[in-house]
Amino acid sequence: MGVWKTSIVATALLLIAKSAGAAEASAAQIIKSAIDYWRDVSSYSVVDMTIHRPDWERTMTIRVWTRGSKESLVRVTAPPKDAGNATLLLDNDMWSFTPKINRVIKIPSSMMNQSWMGSDFSNNDLAKADDLIEQYDHKLLRTESHEGRKVYVIESVPKEAAPVVWGKEVVKVREDWIMLEHEFYDQENRLLKKLVTSDIKPMGGKLIAARERMQRVDKPGEWTDVVTHEIKFGVTIGPNTFTLSNLRNPRE
Amino acid sequence: MLRAQPLLLTLAWRNLWRHRGRTAAILFALALGIWSMVALAALSRGSLEGQLQKAIGNLTGHIQIHARGYRDDPAIDHRMPAPDAALATALTDPSVRVWAGRVRVPAVIASERESAGVTLVGIEPQREQGLSFIGTAVTDGRYLESPGDTGLLLGRKLAERLETALGRRVVVMSQDVKNQVGDRGFRVVGIFDAEPEAIETAFVFVGRATAQEMLGMGDTLSEISLRSDDRNRLEVPLSTLRTVAPSLDIEPWTVVEPLLTLTEKIVNVILVIWYAIVFAAMSFGLVNTLLMAVFERTREFGLFQALGMPPRHILGQVLVESLILLAIALVIGNLGALATVHALRDGLDLSAFAEGMEYFGVSPIIYPALSVGDVTMANTLVAVLGLVASLYPAWRAARHVPIEAITRV
Repeated sequence: MGVWKTSIVATALLLIAKSAGAAEASAAQIIKSAIDYWRDVSSYSVVDMTIHRPDWERTMTIRVWTRGSKESLVRVTAPPKDAGNATLLLDNDMWSFTPKINRVIKIPSSMMNQSWMGSDFSNNDLAKADDLIEQYDHKLLRTESHEGRKVYVIESVPKEAAPVVWGKEVVKVREDWIMLEHEFYDQENRLLKKLVTSDIKPMGGKLIAARERMQRVDKPGEWTDVVTHEIKFGVTIGPNTFTLSNLRNPRE
Repeated sequence: MLRAQPLLLTLAWRNLWRHRGRTAAILFALALGIWSMVALAALSRGSLEGQLQKAIGNLTGHIQIHARGYRDDPAIDHRMPAPDAALATALTDPSVRVWAGRVRVPAVIASERESAGVTLVGIEPQREQGLSFIGTAVTDGRYLESPGDTGLLLGRKLAERLETALGRRVVVMSQDVKNQVGDRGFRVVGIFDAEPEAIETAFVFVGRATAQEMLGMGDTLSEISLRSDDRNRLEVPLSTLRTVAPSLDIEPWTVVEPLLTLTEKIVNVILVIWYAIVFAAMSFGLVNTLLMAVFERTREFGLFQALGMPPRHILGQVLVESLILLAIALVIGNLGALATVHALRDGLDLSAFAEGMEYFGVSPIIYPALSVGDVTMANTLVAVLGLVASLYPAWRAARHVPIEAITRV
């Protein structure tokens, strides 16, 4: 599920380049490393996304391809009702394909704040992946420990002109670059939503958190779980994977 | 008849005093009619004028210049170059009082909790002073300081809806020139109040240069708005501008906001209908009163005629009576209307019962505006048609055969 993590990584990257102090540099470095670790050079994964609401719940099986930090393709394979729905992300731009109407739609800016496929992730959560590296100032708040390993708690504050609505984000990264938590605060320092990962185990040749849950604080009965079943890193991805024609006519 | 005028005047005048109650009643009715005509006209004109001024202040201006196609589809694709030398010179003409270039595109504004569709307006803060409402509308925080200001002005209602406040950051998203998402964070530096309230949720204001940078527009603009000295005399500036910039779409406010011109027409029609109704009621009262007076005096008229007064003098007598009534009523009615308008010079506040009016851009506070045309029309209508209506009772009076009239019991 590199897509979601990418946002964090990307933000960290920029900061490294222009960080002022050593502490900031290292905090930004940690963020960048965490994102790089998760994103790798390229990846292919199969995940189940479960959207939970007080009165219903549904699960979709999704395949995800990523390359670098700017290219991602997400395709739903089950249930049949949703199968074929796909989303292509190139940098900050986003297209979606719906087989029922056989149309590729560019997601307009007006819809970027809306929910992605009815989940607790917004289109922006996916598309603005890079922003965490480029658009934030990072600060190491403290360190904790988790299963005997050191955990860095980093506060990321969006820059003045950053297209980010949050007041700040707090990210917890374990010393082996596994991201444990990502909290989103409003501008009055109230926690709004939270991404928590768990179920850390070796997959695809390295340790990853196989489960992540996005949940809004004011809606305790609603969340979205993303569980990784299969993941491969450093895979070779065809040159036409991240194109609009492949979005419409899958060839793999 | 000329020589007989003093006599007729005396007779008519004395006759009016014969039934003081009746005369007072018809005078009151006539005066009320006149008053309602003039006062209602003043209120309608005032409301219309308020509406026009508000609409012109709400970013319309007197003349707007756009790239062709912008008015049908106000997207970033329909942008125009910054004014070239010829256009810039034409804009410094004395007939143009103020002008400003703007970026004006549809956008989405988002806070942590909510987002809303708005029109993003990039302005040159100094130039908007005296051109549009925003120059004086900021009530909390500060106004923008320069075209490159990175702050944002947010309407009070929209701030509530977005659950954000002065000093917080919001994100504005739109489409840039390459058809990609152009977005940026802005700090809310000022909260503005506007009327109608829909304006507060429809527009957000940022510096023009900041908007151009965010959308990759270079120095291109969405529109130029300008004000002349008189909104009803725009032919000269229009033709000058159209000559120097033939490729652009240059239109006066009447074309940009056709609803306003329509409203003006509707107000005129409503006034005419109102005049007709009031006048019909008034004339029935007047004719009825005069007929009563004439019937009462059947024997008297018979006697006049027997003594040698020609029927046209009897006709004249009744008409003069009617004329005196009308003249007094016109004076009282007009004075009453003037007094009403004067009393309401600080505005008639209808906001208590007029919540819906705002949706139509009608301000709940009406400043009555007397127009010479309306007053003249009401007075002429009443005087002339009043006399015409009086012809019937006068004709009845003059028609008597003296012997029958005298002997009538």
